[in-house]
Amino acid sequence: MTQHSTGTSITFDRATKTYPGAAAPALDALDLEVEAGELVCLVGPSGGGKTTALQLVNRLVDLTSGDIRIGDRSITDQSAIELRRTIGYAIQQSGLFPHYTVADNIATVPVILGWNKERIRARTAELLELVGLSPVETWLPRYPAQLSGGQQQRVGIARALAADPPVMLMDEPFGALDPITRVAVQDEFLAIHRAVAKTTLFVTHDIDEAIKMADRIAILKPGGKLAQFGTPAEVLSNPADDFVAEFLGAERGLKRLALTTVGEIVTGSSDRVGAGAETAGWPDVEATMTLREALSVVSAAQAEGAIVHAGGSRLGEVSLHDLIAPPTAGEDREGVRA
Amino acid sequence: MDVVFGAFPFMIDNVGLLLTKTGDHLVISLIPLLAAIVVGVPIGIWLGHAHRGEFLAVSVTNIGRALPSLALIAILIGFVGIGMLNAMIALFLLAFPPILSYAFQAVNSIDRDLTRAARGMGMSHGQVLLKVELPLGLPMIIAGIRTSAVLTVSSATIATIAGSGGLGDVILNQVAYGMEGVVAGAIWVAVLAILVDQAFALLLRVSAPAGVKRLQSTSVA
Repeated sequence: MTQHSTGTSITFDRATKTYPGAAAPALDALDLEVEAGELVCLVGPSGGGKTTALQLVNRLVDLTSGDIRIGDRSITDQSAIELRRTIGYAIQQSGLFPHYTVADNIATVPVILGWNKERIRARTAELLELVGLSPVETWLPRYPAQLSGGQQQRVGIARALAADPPVMLMDEPFGALDPITRVAVQDEFLAIHRAVAKTTLFVTHDIDEAIKMADRIAILKPGGKLAQFGTPAEVLSNPADDFVAEFLGAERGLKRLALTTVGEIVTGSSDRVGAGAETAGWPDVEATMTLREALSVVSAAQAEGAIVHAGGSRLGEVSLHDLIAPPTAGEDREGVRA
Repeated sequence: MDVVFGAFPFMIDNVGLLLTKTGDHLVISLIPLLAAIVVGVPIGIWLGHAHRGEFLAVSVTNIGRALPSLALIAILIGFVGIGMLNAMIALFLLAFPPILSYAFQAVNSIDRDLTRAARGMGMSHGQVLLKVELPLGLPMIIAGIRTSAVLTVSSATIATIAGSGGLGDVILNQVAYGMEGVVAGAIWVAVLAILVDQAFALLLRVSAPAGVKRLQSTSVA
C-alpha cells in the first residue's frame, strides 16, 4: 500500500428501521459504536435485522428514526450517492459485473470519481497484488465467468477497497464459498484488514466466522434488538441471555478455546519441564495450534497433556487441565476495546 | 408439385412486380415495427428498471397474443376505413406486446445483487441503467424486436384485405396471378421472414457483451 486513509468510527444512535406495512421494526433502536479500524461482525438469525443494519449505513435502506454517524458526520448530511462512493461495499457472490473485466470491475468507483487512467491503472495493480492475484497482467483482462468463486471474491474485495474508503461494509461476503476456499479467503481478508485498518462492518450468519474474524461481535435477535456486544471471548464466556447462549451453541466452551493458541499458555507450565515420567506418551503439538485443536490431539492420544514444539524446538508442555481451563484464554483478543 | 415448380418461372417473369410488392410489404411491416420499438423499448426498460408494472407487461403480452390479426383489421375498418393506415395500426398492435415484455424482462430479470452492488458503490440511477442494466439486457431487448419483426413481416400478408398492398396482393389474388403466382408470393414472403429473422440473429450475437458471451461459449463447450 502506497498510501491509505485510516478508518473512521461508525456510530449507530438509536437507529431504527420499520419497513412499510410491517407491524414491528426490522431494527429496533440499535446503539452501537464501531471504533476506527475495528472489525465488527453482525450476527444473528434471519429476521434479526443484520443486513438491514448494514444497508442503513450506505442508505440502500433509509432510517425510520435515529441516526448513524461516520466519524462525527451524519450519513444524512450528504446525498446517498456521494455517501456510497466513500464506503467500500462487498456482497455475497461478489456482485461482480459479468460484462466487465477484472480491471474494469475494480475501477468502477475510481471511474465514477473521475480519476485519470494512470492513477486507476496503478491502483488496480496494487489492489490485485494485495488480494493475492499476481502476476497482475494475467488477471486484469479476464472476465468474472473465467474466475473461481474464491478469485471472484478476492476481486470483489479489491473493488470495495478501490477508492480507499475509510469504511467497509461486507454482506456475507464469503457465504457462497466452499469451506476450504472460505478459510483461505478469510485468512487473506484478515491480513488485509490488519494492513489497511479499515473500519469494517461484516454481516454473517456463521458464528464461527464471526468468532474468527471479529474484534467485537454484535449479536442481534429477532425483532432487530441487540442481544449482546462484546469481544468473542466475552461473548463466549458470558452470554448475556439464553438467546445468546443458544445461538452460540452447545460447543461455545470449545469455541472459546479456539481463541487461544497453545504457544500463548505454554510458558505458564514451563516449570514442569523435565518432570520426566509424567509426560511419557504425551503427543506433540505445534505452538501455533489453538487449544481446541490441541485438546483434540490429546483426546485422540488419550493422554494427560501434550508436548509443545515451535520451529522444531521443544517449548514445554501443557497439561489437560491447562487446556481445559486456560488462565488467560482470549484475554489478548480484547484488542481495540478501550 | 407442378405448381411449386411453376412458381419459379413466375418469379423470374415477374421480378419487377414482386420487387415492387416487396417494397410495399416492407414499408407496411417496418414502419409499425419501428413505432413499436420507439414506444415499447423505453417503456419496457423504464418499468424493468423500476421493477414495476409486471402486471401491465404480462397483460399486454397476453392480450396481444390472443388478438387475431385478421379480426383486428376487420374491426379497424370500422374506425379508420380501408387502406395502409388500417394495416399499420393492426401490425403495430401486433408488434408492440413482444417488444414491451421482452424489454421489461430484459431489465427486470437482471440479478438484483448486481444492481444492489452498483447502487451500493455510488452509481446514480442513470449509471446503473447505462453501465449495468442496458448492456446486460440488450440481447434480450433485441430478441423481442426479432420476434416482432418476423411477426409483422409475415402478418403483413393479410394487410391486403384492408387494401394496403404488399405481397399479400399476389398471394390472395389467384384470379389475376394463377396458382403459380400464389405459391411464388408465399415462398417470397417466407424467404423474406427468414432473412429478417437471420439479420436479427446476427445482431443478437453481436450485441452480447463480451464477458457474457464468453460465459455462454464456455458453458456450451
